[in-house]
Amino acid sequence: MRALFLPRRSPMPGFGLSMGVTVTMLSLVVLLPVGALLWKGASFGATNLWEVVNRPRVWQALLLSFRLSALAALFNLAFGILLAWVLVRYRFAGRRLLDAAVDLPFALPTAVAGIALTALYAPNGLFGALAAEIGWRIAYSQWGIFLALVFVGLPFVVRSVQPVLEDMDREVEEASATLGASRWRTITRVVLPVIMPAALTGFALSLARAVGEYGSVIFIAGNIPMKTEIAPLLIVIQLEEFNYDGATAIGIAMLVLSFTLLLVINLVQIWSRRRIGYV
Amino acid sequence: MSTAIQIVDPLSGRPPRSAPLPPTASGLRPLALTTLMASAIALGAATDLRAETLLNVSYDPTREFYRDYDAAFAAWWEAEGHEAPTLETSHGGSGAQARAVIDGLDAQVVTLALASDIDQIATAGKLPADWQSALPHNAAPYTSTIVFLVREGNPEGIEDWDDIVGDGVEVITPNPKTSGGARWNYLAAWAWAEKDDRDPEGFVRELYRHVPVLDSGARGATTTFAQRGIGDVLLAWENEAYLALEQMGEDQFDIVVPSVSMRAEPPVALLEANIADDEERALATAYLEHLYSPEAQALAFKHFYRGWDSSAADPEDVARLPDLDLVGIEEMGGWAEVQPRHFGQGGIFDQIYVGQ
Repeated sequence: MRALFLPRRSPMPGFGLSMGVTVTMLSLVVLLPVGALLWKGASFGATNLWEVVNRPRVWQALLLSFRLSALAALFNLAFGILLAWVLVRYRFAGRRLLDAAVDLPFALPTAVAGIALTALYAPNGLFGALAAEIGWRIAYSQWGIFLALVFVGLPFVVRSVQPVLEDMDREVEEASATLGASRWRTITRVVLPVIMPAALTGFALSLARAVGEYGSVIFIAGNIPMKTEIAPLLIVIQLEEFNYDGATAIGIAMLVLSFTLLLVINLVQIWSRRRIGYV
Repeated sequence: MSTAIQIVDPLSGRPPRSAPLPPTASGLRPLALTTLMASAIALGAATDLRAETLLNVSYDPTREFYRDYDAAFAAWWEAEGHEAPTLETSHGGSGAQARAVIDGLDAQVVTLALASDIDQIATAGKLPADWQSALPHNAAPYTSTIVFLVREGNPEGIEDWDDIVGDGVEVITPNPKTSGGARWNYLAAWAWAEKDDRDPEGFVRELYRHVPVLDSGARGATTTFAQRGIGDVLLAWENEAYLALEQMGEDQFDIVVPSVSMRAEPPVALLEANIADDEERALATAYLEHLYSPEAQALAFKHFYRGWDSSAADPEDVARLPDLDLVGIEEMGGWAEVQPRHFGQGGIFDQIYVGQ
């Protein structure tokens, strides 16, 4: 153990203890459940797993979940950077309040959020009625799912970009302006590269959160197979049938897809960090 | 001595708040349940240490009925010369409740929506396979049926099953994969089509083409129809339909009784494996048997269930449940045959959406 983690004795004391606590906690909370899932999958067999996953309805649900999650995370990326910018760079009445409101999606039970969004965007709701007039159905369509996913993922980008923006020296922007760069050029060549790694972290978190989201989505989705049925709902349906193997198979499929996506995002992050040389 | 009754809701029937991974790690689920149970037991223990406790694991729409029944039974049990019992009832989706019991929820009796859910518990060894013969009427002390709830004045003119697949009519019914009640809805449509000499599979397929939202449970579907204003007709438990009328005003909805429907028999059973001692057995047995007493049957009628014995019931309560042609599940081959054929993996319901 020691040889593995500690080739040389670190000048910082307490490594053994803190590492032990960390690994134990991580095992209990993360590694064991994921391990149990994989173990269950292994005992079910790879061919059986593939058979469960390789059905049009499952593919459709996985595609829907990942596509809408990616779109919601992209939306949150753009909107989150803007929101962080507003919160850091401007001083206005109610700024603290707005700042605190960003965290609400974390605090609110997602079921409450789902029901509230449905009530607002259903055809007889406040905004839903307006949309219905132009023939646009929000709740009980993919728009509703998108809306719920944007809601649950919103804080991630804001909260990861905000500290970076706060730490950023204004002199850098001023230097860019003095050297004759336009405002747009300063933003795209100076500001954005600095906040990009943090923004990508927020994007990845937002995406991961959206992929696994269940509570708020089922209220607003409509849950029609092949149309508005998300992958986590399929898992719950398998469980309702006492089909633990089927649930495991879809769970593992989601795990593999999420892991691949996060890996890709991490690589992009490393690349963008190398490109700008610091942060 | 006061009677202690608690309605706890350890598994509210709501699906987990967020489930990135299914809780398939069977070793971990009992852990969470144990914590829930410990808190439930701690609550019970605080009120009365010596009294016998009983946990009844039930499904969603029985909330109001068992609240009344628990009070009535506790009073009766005490009058019989016993210690006042601590009665707890937990409500949730029937399937989720069955899984909780299988995973170790320490309930003494189950009162669920479907015999097939209790069969699953029997498969796990918690009670004998012939549990349905332990009590009269296939262990179903009350029955219910499926009716239509339509908007006030019945604007679409819905009278029977063929009307709900009319042009532009939207039907609200939950997903039969996740809701016990929705299976009865589906089967009622099937039974009508069979009696009407139509192709039942074609009719059911047509019916689900008119469904814009598939909620996961019966209560959710009622909310979608009543609060969100979606759909023209809600397929609902008879007792849920009357409850919706009672709570949301009779001027908003009408109940339409179709010519044919299902006789839904929500069964009850004693969980042999969870009975600790003779006293507990006596209490649990009495709790279930007393459901058949005229007094309890009257309560069932009061809560819009169709009881077997109307001798003590208010005649008005009985009269408001009209007669109709009711088909029993045994006429369709029983749950053991119906469940895999219609609702199993790749069954007829799955094919409606995939096999087009």
